[in-house]
This record gives sequence, structure tokens and C-alpha cells, in this order.
Amino acid sequence: AMAPGKKITARIKRTLPVKGPQAPTLSELMRWYCLNTNTHGCRRIVVSRGRLRRFIWILLTLSAVGLILWQCAELLMNYYSASVSVTVQFQKLPFPAVTICNINPYKYNSMKDYLSELDKETKKALETFYGFSEGKSKVRRSVNEWNSTGSQFFKQIPLLKFEDFSKTATDLHTGQKRKIEGSVFHKDSSIVNSGDSNDIGFQLCDANNSSDCALYTFSSGVNAIQEWYKLHYMNIMAQIPLETKEKLSYSADDLLLTCFFDGLSCDKRHFTRFHHPLHGNCYTFNSGENGTILSTSTGGSEYGLQVVLYIDEADYNPFLVTSTGAKIIVHDQNEYPFIEDIGTEIETAAATSIGMHFTRSRKLSKPYSDCTETGDDIPVENLYNKSYSLQICLHSCFQKAMVDSCGCAQYAQPLPAGAEYCNYNRNPNWMYCYYRLHEKFVKEQLGCQQICKDACSFKEWALTTSIAQWPSTVSEDWMLRVLSWDKGQKINKKLNKTDLANLMVFYKDLNERFISENPANTLVILLSNFGGQLGLWMSCSVVCVIEIVEVFFIDSLSIVMRRQWQKAKKWWNDRKKDHSGKPPQAGDLERQGHDNPVCIDEDLPTFNTALRLPLPQDNPLPRTPPPNYSTLRLETAFTEQLPDTLEVGQH
Amino acid sequence: MNLKKYFIRALHRLQKGPGYTYKELLVWYCDNTNTHGPKRIIKEGPKKKLIWFFLTLLFASLVFWQWGILINTYLSYNVTSSLSIGFKTMKFPAVTVCNANPFKYSKVKHLLKELDRLIEAALERILQPAPWNSSENASPPLDLELWHQIPLVLIDEHDKNNPIILDIFERNQNSVDNQTFAGNETEKKYKLAVKLCSHQGSDNCTYRNFTSAAQAVTEWYILQSTSILSKVPLQERIGMGYQAEDMILACLYGAEPCNYKNFTQIYHPDHGNCYIFNWGMDEEALNSSNPGAEFGLKLILDISQQDYIPYLSSAAGARLMLHQQKSFPFLKDQGIYAMAGTETSIGVLVDELERMGYPYSDCTMNGSDVPVKNLYSQYNTSYSIQACLRSCFQNHMIEICGCGHYMFPLPEGINYCNNEDNPGWAYCYSALRSSIRHRQICIDSCKETCNDTQYKMTISMADWPSEASEDWIFHILSYERDMSTNVTLDRNGIIKLNIYFQEYNYRTISESAATTIVWLLSSLGGQFGFWMGGSVLCLIEFGEIIIDSLWITIINVISWCKGLKQKRARAQYPDAPPTVSELVEAHPNLGFQHEDAGPLPRDEVLPPAPGTPPPNYDSLRVQPLEVLGPDSDAD
Repeated sequence: AMAPGKKITARIKRTLPVKGPQAPTLSELMRWYCLNTNTHGCRRIVVSRGRLRRFIWILLTLSAVGLILWQCAELLMNYYSASVSVTVQFQKLPFPAVTICNINPYKYNSMKDYLSELDKETKKALETFYGFSEGKSKVRRSVNEWNSTGSQFFKQIPLLKFEDFSKTATDLHTGQKRKIEGSVFHKDSSIVNSGDSNDIGFQLCDANNSSDCALYTFSSGVNAIQEWYKLHYMNIMAQIPLETKEKLSYSADDLLLTCFFDGLSCDKRHFTRFHHPLHGNCYTFNSGENGTILSTSTGGSEYGLQVVLYIDEADYNPFLVTSTGAKIIVHDQNEYPFIEDIGTEIETAAATSIGMHFTRSRKLSKPYSDCTETGDDIPVENLYNKSYSLQICLHSCFQKAMVDSCGCAQYAQPLPAGAEYCNYNRNPNWMYCYYRLHEKFVKEQLGCQQICKDACSFKEWALTTSIAQWPSTVSEDWMLRVLSWDKGQKINKKLNKTDLANLMVFYKDLNERFISENPANTLVILLSNFGGQLGLWMSCSVVCVIEIVEVFFIDSLSIVMRRQWQKAKKWWNDRKKDHSGKPPQAGDLERQGHDNPVCIDEDLPTFNTALRLPLPQDNPLPRTPPPNYSTLRLETAFTEQLPDTLEVGQH
Repeated sequence: MNLKKYFIRALHRLQKGPGYTYKELLVWYCDNTNTHGPKRIIKEGPKKKLIWFFLTLLFASLVFWQWGILINTYLSYNVTSSLSIGFKTMKFPAVTVCNANPFKYSKVKHLLKELDRLIEAALERILQPAPWNSSENASPPLDLELWHQIPLVLIDEHDKNNPIILDIFERNQNSVDNQTFAGNETEKKYKLAVKLCSHQGSDNCTYRNFTSAAQAVTEWYILQSTSILSKVPLQERIGMGYQAEDMILACLYGAEPCNYKNFTQIYHPDHGNCYIFNWGMDEEALNSSNPGAEFGLKLILDISQQDYIPYLSSAAGARLMLHQQKSFPFLKDQGIYAMAGTETSIGVLVDELERMGYPYSDCTMNGSDVPVKNLYSQYNTSYSIQACLRSCFQNHMIEICGCGHYMFPLPEGINYCNNEDNPGWAYCYSALRSSIRHRQICIDSCKETCNDTQYKMTISMADWPSEASEDWIFHILSYERDMSTNVTLDRNGIIKLNIYFQEYNYRTISESAATTIVWLLSSLGGQFGFWMGGSVLCLIEFGEIIIDSLWITIINVISWCKGLKQKRARAQYPDAPPTVSELVEAHPNLGFQHEDAGPLPRDEVLPPAPGTPPPNYDSLRVQPLEVLGPDSDAD
């Protein structure tokens, strides 16, 4: 007659009755737990005889628990540690990109239109300050004379000679003395010679507030003039469009005379042009632009890249660059070549042989170490069209700060969207702003160093550079003749060996070293270690943990609850009835706990205790069976069920 | 029935106790196992029983899953590396010094004379086209036979699609467009190429193009000179090279003087005579126990640049290399140059990598397991990957071209290639050299060595000798070498070398197995212990149960067969077989619950109990067991 749902619930209730803990009191429960638990130790506490022994066992058990907790905490804390492995693999290796630049960025002759004024003034300055003149006109012109010619460059940034511990300065241009206020920056060194009377430098003032000036001093005029020249040069170059600049610089035919790779001839088609703001046109071999990356399957100098470079020393800018040769950098195809920072210089009239050894490294990212996989999580926009690196991040960060605070971009770094390069006509204040900002950047006040993280994986080519004389004295003759023929008739002169540089870049061996960090621990190993610790000290497992939760939380709680409930019930009954008789249930409960035969003694069951119990009559006894301790563990340790649990069970 | 009894007895004899049915066995197992979960299934109430059943299953599957991961980790043979850096007394590396130029031109001139005249005449024609006829007549006729073996040709690329090939010494062609050779156009239109034919006069030819004439000339000269020099016996070639006493002018190792006699001579095909210091072949290798230039090797070398072969080597200097004792110096790969007229200081850091062999990493300890015949073993040197690759190439060369290349050692019974005996060798060699497939075969078959030692060098240079000291230094060195008062040395030939250990002279990366068998066992134990509190003994218990259940199966099968037989026999009599009740009885049988009281065969009669029965703890149980483990299907 019952509904099927009810029937099922009734059936479940009947078959799976909800029972409270069988132990009537907390101490009973503890005793039961200690005797029946799977962990070692607890049982000893209960079965030990004597106070001392029991105390020792309590101490031991507690210290084992403490040890487990301590060791597991250690394991957890060491979870995020990494181990390093180095693998060496011998294989066909991808050849890196090799970027080659002439040290001089633009042909001096073609730059005449833009730089003639500046050069003229620089020469004049050299003549006036140092009595230097180029050969012919030894007659020193008076200061007044070239004052009148309108020297705009010196008005913009006056060169000063400092005296009296940088307190007074003589303007080298006008000859006036002036008092120095504001901060002084020593570009050369911040430590020594600050008050040297020979100090020379220049003053940059805030265009809006001319009293706010910063002074830059140099201990040598060489550096001062070069730095001064460079500022003006950047000003001028910032106004020339990129296409024009590319034309003004060297073409691939100009720079590369011969090329040989992996035993085969190569030519300018294997090189990609890349315009560097400070080094002009650079050429990248194997840039991977057309999708293919060359690789080498043989080490050694014959199988690498061999190029002869034509360095036209006569066409060098005398003030901008003071050394001759080329700069090269070996880098990955996805990397931006920071030639000005980490380039290797190549000498002329020499064969430079560069042996490479390839190492790849990979760090684990968070949470093992603070590095970035792709740079996407860095809040700095990557201005370079290449994959992330720390250097790119720092430069981009600085450029962004520059655009934000000065309103224009620095010439040596790429342009952010919507910005343009600084020049004096548009941003009269930029130099002062730039120097201030750069000072801040160096002192880590811009926050760039904090934002930028290093990349997690990087490739490194360790270079071994050595130089030989080239061409040798006996081969010089024919070599120069043939190379002149190679160069063609475009230049009507025989090549000089100081105009040439031979460069060989090759793999010393095809071993790739791969240094990688691996997580020292996995979850599996962590759990194993936990298990080992638990097992070692207490022979415990997750089951024991569940037991503990069950006994100490669920069961104890329900016992406490039950007692409270019974107390309340008793109190209610007492009030309701006229408390005529004895309080039945509570007394029973007490008595039951103590009368329970199993719970009477703390010792191992003895013969006597065994005898107190009725023996099952129907079973013939074996002769002398050994005591079976396992049988002590019994479900029915508590002979009489509590009335309420029974009630629940019956319903 | 006898058989069944026998089996029952055997079962009891095997282990006392589990019982006759699967269920009894299972209950017994759950009750008595040391694994933590199963006992709960038996002991708890019905609801908890269910929970514990699933928990136990879950834990067991977790254990197995994680065991799988652990075993996989172990089988991947990972390694961890440890790094140590410092200074210790170490063997000073072997130092090989060579001249960049292999032979003295004065001694080899008679062999190369014809070749030089040919290339000069060719260059003359290419570079200055107009007045060659007159000059040619004055000199003796050229050996055009030599030229035609491997000719150098001009490729006229005025018409991009239709390049014209011009032989430089073909008279009629030259006269037609001789004036255009120099290319007075704005763009260069001529290219030099080396013509390589499978054999002379055949049409099976390739042209090796060069964008640069300088490269073409060098390459051509190397091919031709290789062919000529390969015919010269080794002793003669050694004689043509630089002698130790001419080359090594001064030597100082630490505070001890040394001289050219301390160097071992070795003939290197690229560089002629090379000299190795501290090779460790005959005597013990020298140790260096102090860092710094004062305690290193100091050498003064003369490379006599005037005596260079003009077309063969365009770079001038000494070639040197640091390598391990008893290993062959592969100068083209690892060598560095030292420039004439300079002092080159080389600080050395020994970068060692010690790896574990198979199965941790694919490397070889001594090269014995590499399927390539090591041709460098004739030098008594140890295996190296470079040796393997070169041997592999030479073996291919011999196989395909029929002769050995001059740059590599020869196996027995094979000759070096030359133009007379092997007219097509250059063609064959060139094809082989650029063949990606053959290179890949060699790369695949060669293995690197497990212990890899590299010498990291910090190189610095200064001008030497200084202008002030130059006079007396040249004077003394010339006097010592040639016993003459004339200065026979100059700045273009003299090189000073300092090779020494840096303050930290070693960096050793050594591998150790990340996972050992001990690690595996402890991790397996940890997992099992963590989830289920089990150990190996528990596994054995489990195995025991499986054996038991197998026994039971056997018994059941036998009894079932018996039953079937009886059934057939009793088909006539419709009596119910009494065996069913027996089986039902077996489960609640108290005797099977415990080892001692348990499975005594029924037909055995026990003697009566003695007067004082032994304590039977079992009797503590007040209620019989079957109440606690009610069947779910009891109703």
C-alpha cells in the first residue's frame, strides 16, 4: 500500500540504519580508538602497565606526531624546488643569425649635406679650445670672428670649462665666466676628480625654467666633445626619414666582398638588411626572414660562415666614431641584435675566427622562479618586433617613460605608436629631460628594473675569438688584386688591406648543451614522502587520518551532543514529574561504563578476567590455543547499547 | 570424494584458516590483513561499510595509478647534475702548436711551380686582359694538362637566363671578348667557377660557382695541390714542413726550462708539422698546481711568414689548440689563431662534463660501441666525436670514390686520391662533401663521449716585442737559432704565447641518477603506506589470498563435476541433494572465523577438554559474528 518512493526509503532505513557512536562516553571512545586504531603508539598507551611506562608511551607517541608534522611541513616547504640537469646532444645545429655592421653608421661624404654645419663648428671649437687645426689653415681665428657666424649649436648647449671645484665655469664659446648652480653630474666618473680644474662639460637647462640646470662634466675633452657631438648628431638624424637614412648608409654590396657558408658560395641575397639607429645599415646573415633557417651538420672553420668585409676607412665620420672595423653579434633569429651593447668588434687587416659553442637554458617559471615565458605578463609594451628579452623590456620601458615625460622618443630606440623622435626644433627641452630621465633610470628610480623580468629560456652562443694576420705578406699581392676585381670597377682604386676584414664564424663542435631546471618534486613524490614519514613514525596512512577525523571530530562531537541532550531530557523529566523515584537513565549510563567487563582493567586480559565471562558451551575447546590478541578488537566491546541509539536503530 | 578431502586437507595444510567459500575467505582476509582499509569494511555498520568499501577502492586505485607514475619516472632515467667550481692541481692540457702554413715554400716549390705559374697566368688573363700574349711568349709553355684536369672557368652572366661558360685558356674565345673580362660595366657580370667532371673529357660535369674570385682561386688551388702532395710520401712531407728547432725558439714551463725536444711531432694534413707539448703519450702528464701566468707555459715561436705558400694559406699566424692528453688535435674545429708580432695570453678554465652512460644518456665511454671504424686509432689517440665523423667521411669516400682524401688518415691498403690515378676524384669528393644524406648518416652513427672536457680560454693580446726591446730580442733569438750575428727574425714571424690556469681552473658538471632503485622502492612504499598503510607483506598476503581462492575454485570445480556426475546418476531418483545445506552452513560456521578454533575437519574427534581450559580470548565476544556482518540479501 506504500508508495514506491517510501518503500525504498523504508528499505534503506531498515538496511542502513543510522547509528550514533557505540561508545557511551568520551573516555570509552578514546579507549576503543586506542585499542582499535591502525596507528601504532596509541595502543601502547592503553595497554601499558604502570604510570611511568604509560607516560613514556604518551611522550613517545606525541613526539612521533610532532615529528611527522614537522617533517611534513619541511616537505611542503621544499616542494617548489628545482633540480638542474645538463644534457648534451650531438646533432645538426641551426646556425644562428649573424648581424654585421660597419662601426661607422653612414658614409661621411653623403652625410655632408646634413652635418657640414655641425662639423664646421666642432672643428672651430677644437681649434679654439685646443689649438688643433687640420693641416692647411694654421692661422687661428679670433674668438670674436666666429662668434659672429652665428653658432647655433653652441647656443643650444654651451661647452663649459669648470674651475674652483665646479663652482664657476668659463663658457668656452663666449669666454664669459658664470656661477654654477644646480646639480652637477660627472659623466666620466662619479667618484674621483670632481673638482679638477681641467674638467670640461656642458650645461643642460630646462627650457621653461632656465634656473633649473644640470651640468655634465667630463675629465677629458675627448669624451666631452664626442658626447656633445652625439647629442647634436641625434638631433639632426631624428629629422631625416628612414628611407633616406638607409640610402645614406652602406649597401650590402658595399659591405660584403665575399661570402662562403658551409662549403658553398653565398651572396647578398642571404643577408637581410636591418637599420640600426646608431650603426646604420646592418646585415643579418641567416635571419630566417624567408622562413628557412640554415643549419650546419659539420663543425670547423671550413663549414661556417666566412665573409670578407669592405670597411672604407676614408669615409668615416671623424667625430662620431673613433675606431675602425666592424661589429658583429651572434644571436637567435627571434632575438633583437643589441649591437651597441653586446657586439664584438672586428679588426681590419686581420682574419677574426670566432668559434661558437651552443648552450640552451631553460628555467622553470612561476612558482619556482620569477621569470617570464613569453613576456606577455609584463606590463611593458614590446617596442621591438622580436621575442621578449630583458634588454628589450628595459629599453621599451625607458622609451615609454621618455615619451610620457618628455613628449618625444629617444633616437636610439624604436618608436612607440603615435610618438616621434626628439629634435631640438620641436622639443627644445628634450635633452635636459632625457638626461634627467636617464639619471633616474640608472638609479633604478623609474621602476623599469622592478617590472622587467628575465626570460625563462634563452639561447647562448659562447664565442672564442682569435685573430690572425690576413692577408699574409706573401699572399697580400694576389689577394688584393683578385678582391679588387671582385669589387668591380665601381671603385677606381686598388684595395688596401686596412680596408678589409676577414671574418669566420663557425661551430667548434655540434654539441648542444641544454641546461634545464626540472621540478625536484611532483605531487606523487610529495605524497610518497608523506606516506614514508607517516609510516616511519606511526605506521599511519590516510585511513588513520580518516579514523582520527571520524573518532575525534564526528564521534566525540556526537557523544557530547548526546550527553547534553540526555541532560536536557532528564532535566525536563525531572521538572515534569514530581521527581518521585530515582533518576533512571543517567545512573544506568554511569554504571554501564564502569561495569563493562572489557573496560574494567587497563591491563592485558588475564585468565581471571577471561573466566568472569561465560564461555560458549557448545564449542569444544582446543587444547591450548595461544592467546589471540586480535580477537580483543571487537565491534561489540560495548555490551549494552544506549537506549537512544537502539531507538534509532529500531525505527 | 577422496580427492576433495585430500584437497581440503591440502588447503588446510597450506594455510590454516580461510574457509571453504570465497566469501569466507574474503571476510577472513579483510579481518586479518595489515592493510588499513579492508578491515573497516568488515567492522563498520552497513552505511559506513559502503563508504569504506568505496574509500578502499579509491585508495587502491590511487596507489596503483601513482605507482605507475613512479615506475614511469624511474624508467625515464633522469639525471640531476651537480656543479663544482674551484682550483685544484690538475693536469696541464696538451698544447698543440702549428704553423698556419703547412710547408715551407722554398722546399715545396719544385712541386708547386707549375701550378703557381698556371694560376698566375690565369689571374693575369682575368684581371688585366690586354697584353697577355707578349708575356706568355717569354715564359716557357704552361702545363695545360694539369689545368685541364680541374679547370677554372669564367661564367658570363650578361644574359641571366643563358650564361656563357668561358675557358680561360681557350684562345679563340678569349680573343673575342677579352676586353670585357675586367667588367668595365657598372655591375659585375663575370663569375669564376671550378669545373669538376666525373672523368676527364666527359660531359658529366658540375660547375662550382663562387661569388668571389678569391674564394674560387683558393678552392681550386687547394684541390690541385692536394692532388700533387698526396703523391709525396709521408717522410718527405714531414721534411718539407717546419722543423721543431726552427719553429720553437724558447719554452718555459713554470720555472723549468724546456725546449723543442719536449714536444712530440705529429703530422697534421692541414698544417703540416705540429708539435704537441705534454701529450702524455710516453711520459706522465705534467701537473700544474698554481694559477697565473708565472706557472704556465711560455713559448716563443717563429712562423717565418716569408716562406708561406702564397695561394694556399692567406691567413698568417700560429694555430694552437688545447686538448686532453692522448687525444688528437682537431685544429680546424677547436684551434685558435695567434697573430704574429703579438703576445697572446690564454687563461684556461677546464670545463668538464661527466655523464653517466647508457641508459641515462646516449653517449659512449670509449667509442668501442660506435659502428664506425676509428681511423685515428693509428695515432694511439682516444676516441672523440671529431675522429668518428672524419673516419666516417673517409670511409664513405673510399667506398664511393675509391680513394682516400688527403686530409684524413688512411686505412690499410688504400691510397690517397690524385688526379692521375683517380681523374674524377674532385668531382666525387665535391659531391660527397655537399651531400646532406651522407653527413646525416655520420651524425647518426657517431656518438659523443660521456666525459667531455673543454678548455675555456680567455684570450688577450698585446704587441710584442715592444719597440724598445725589439732589437735585442731579435738579436738573441736569431743567434740562438741560427748561430749567426745577423738578425734572421722579424716582427712578421714571431709570436709569444702564455698559457696558464686561471684562478678557478675547473668547473665540473657531473651527473648522478635522479631516480635509483632505492628511491623507487621508498617512493612505492611511501605511496602504499600513505594511502593504505600497506607494505610488501600486505602484497604477499594478497597473493596468498589469490592462491587460496584458486584452491577454492579448483575444489568447487571438482565438486561441481562430481555433482554433475551424481546428478546424472540420480536422475532416476528425484531426491534433493543434501550438499546445498552444507554449503550454506559453511558460512555462519563460527569455527572458520578464527585460525585456531576454525577449520578443523568435522570428522576428526577432539579429545575432551582438560580440567583447566586455557584462556580463550575469543570468548570475550558476546554476540556471534554473523549478527555484525549481515548479508545484504538476507531478506
